[in-house]
Amino acid sequence: MTLISVQNLTKHFEYYEKEQGLKSSFRNLLHRKKMVKAAVEQVSFEIKKGEMVAFLGPNGAGKTTTLKMLSGILHPSEGSASIMGFTPWERKNEFKKAMSIVMGQKSQLWWDLPAIDSFYLLKNIYDLSDENYNNTLNELVELLDVKHVLNIQVRRLSLGERMKLELIAALLHSPKVLFLDEPTIGLDFISQKNIREFLKKYNRDTQTTIILTSHYMKDIEDLCDRSIIINKGKLIYDGKISEIQSAFQRKKRMKISLSELLAREQFETLGSIKEYNGYDVVLEVENERFKEIAHLVLEQYPVQDLTIEDIPLEEGISLMYQKGEQDQ
Amino acid sequence: MSLAQTLKRYIRLYALFIKNSVIAQMEYRTNFITGLLVETAYLFAKCLYVIVVYQTDLHIGSIGPDQILMFIGTYTFLTGIYWGLFGINFIKLPEHIRNGTLELLMTKPISLQFLVTLRHVDMGLALPNIIGGITMIVISWNKVNLDVNFYTVGGFIFFIIIGVIITYFLFLIPQILSFWFVKTSAIDDVSNSLWDFNNMPMTLYPKWAHFIGMYLIPIFIITNFGPLFLYDELKVSDVFWAAGVPFILISSMRLMWNKGLRNYSSASS
Repeated sequence: MTLISVQNLTKHFEYYEKEQGLKSSFRNLLHRKKMVKAAVEQVSFEIKKGEMVAFLGPNGAGKTTTLKMLSGILHPSEGSASIMGFTPWERKNEFKKAMSIVMGQKSQLWWDLPAIDSFYLLKNIYDLSDENYNNTLNELVELLDVKHVLNIQVRRLSLGERMKLELIAALLHSPKVLFLDEPTIGLDFISQKNIREFLKKYNRDTQTTIILTSHYMKDIEDLCDRSIIINKGKLIYDGKISEIQSAFQRKKRMKISLSELLAREQFETLGSIKEYNGYDVVLEVENERFKEIAHLVLEQYPVQDLTIEDIPLEEGISLMYQKGEQDQ
Repeated sequence: MSLAQTLKRYIRLYALFIKNSVIAQMEYRTNFITGLLVETAYLFAKCLYVIVVYQTDLHIGSIGPDQILMFIGTYTFLTGIYWGLFGINFIKLPEHIRNGTLELLMTKPISLQFLVTLRHVDMGLALPNIIGGITMIVISWNKVNLDVNFYTVGGFIFFIIIGVIITYFLFLIPQILSFWFVKTSAIDDVSNSLWDFNNMPMTLYPKWAHFIGMYLIPIFIITNFGPLFLYDELKVSDVFWAAGVPFILISSMRLMWNKGLRNYSSASS
């Protein structure tokens, strides 16, 4: 069942430039040359109930702007969107009660209060019954293991603890659609892992539809099967994450450690040299030839260690961005 | 949800806003107590002003010191209401727009205007002025020998309520401009100066200022009309005008608010 349907969504922002110096500031006081930036351009996609989709793109690609339009914060310049039958930017209360957004760099908790006071306020804002509120809160507190920090002023908590509490605040009303804009930004490895595990379980148990943006590929690889990639506001890929690699990776990466110094020329015929310092070499070789080349290297070169791996997802996505830019 | 249920829900939410604000302020004990002391000191400064009025036996037209005290009391009371309940939220609106903190509030299933403009309450600002203002009003009421009956008390409270409504909408409108201009501190300065025009009977000012303060920027209705009603100095047309102004301001403010929200272009993430 399609829960989110987006058609030709477009957002243009007006801005102006100012050259360096005071003179140009005076000029700008009198006249500002308006410029228009297409932050999102004709983006269309559909998402089914219960799906968890990664929304990827470099900085300034239009990911957050799209999420803000889908959560009703921004009006689009053109296009339409239907989420659970609602048009987000009409900002109907029924829609707001059925969705939630978490922004990694913004907080909805009262900074000077313990989180439990903010939660109680949210209970009243969402008009939740005592039973619903208590059950959901207890369940989320247990899952995220934050019972011990509920009564501590939010500003005194670590970033990881705060993000867990932000997630609880966003999920108290059991939304059907959840937008996560870089929920793990700035978190340490363990906190990232905890949040990933929580989101995975939450999505599996509740069938909440989730759109996630993140610059951490581990988040994407662990949580989402499907990704939508945009660059410079335009959609450049919508499909399985596993296919991003297969689309771009007809190559494998071979890391060779040598016990003796060898000249760069000795590797040039094997594949493309990505790194070289005489003792350590990183080669990219065609998929069809990697066995043959590995065999040859092991036989003929003074090898101490050799590893063969797929090209990381980040690089597959970077190639996708570059391809998108060339196409545009 | 019926109107009564909605009203009940919003009253409950407002009570929670007050509770949360008080809890948050009390977390910083020194700042909370200092704030109370500073505002009380300001109140004493206003009392010195009252002493000067009495010592110089100041008369503004037919209005003597005892009557002037009613104007100063009403002004002080409404200053407490304005800054303690509304003002501290209003000055944060441009900040919310500039920093993007408005965005999460926009996704909540209650009135955004209610959430943004009433979420914080500053008891340190409100209490000294409200208590001081009421005290001055009561003293003046006794000194002038005004009757205490349904007509006088009810009428005065009616004009106070009108004053509170006008204060809320009149001083919110300039802040809404921040949806377009982002920074509005210059307009803030003008608003604050306008507010201070209110601490004396409007008959002190020239006629053109009356006209502006009554009809263009209806600032004088806020604190002048209550006392003027008690002294039987209001014309019937003034009463109708005072009752109509809130509707004009509410409509203008809502129009601007909705346009502003549509125009909202978000801060960089």
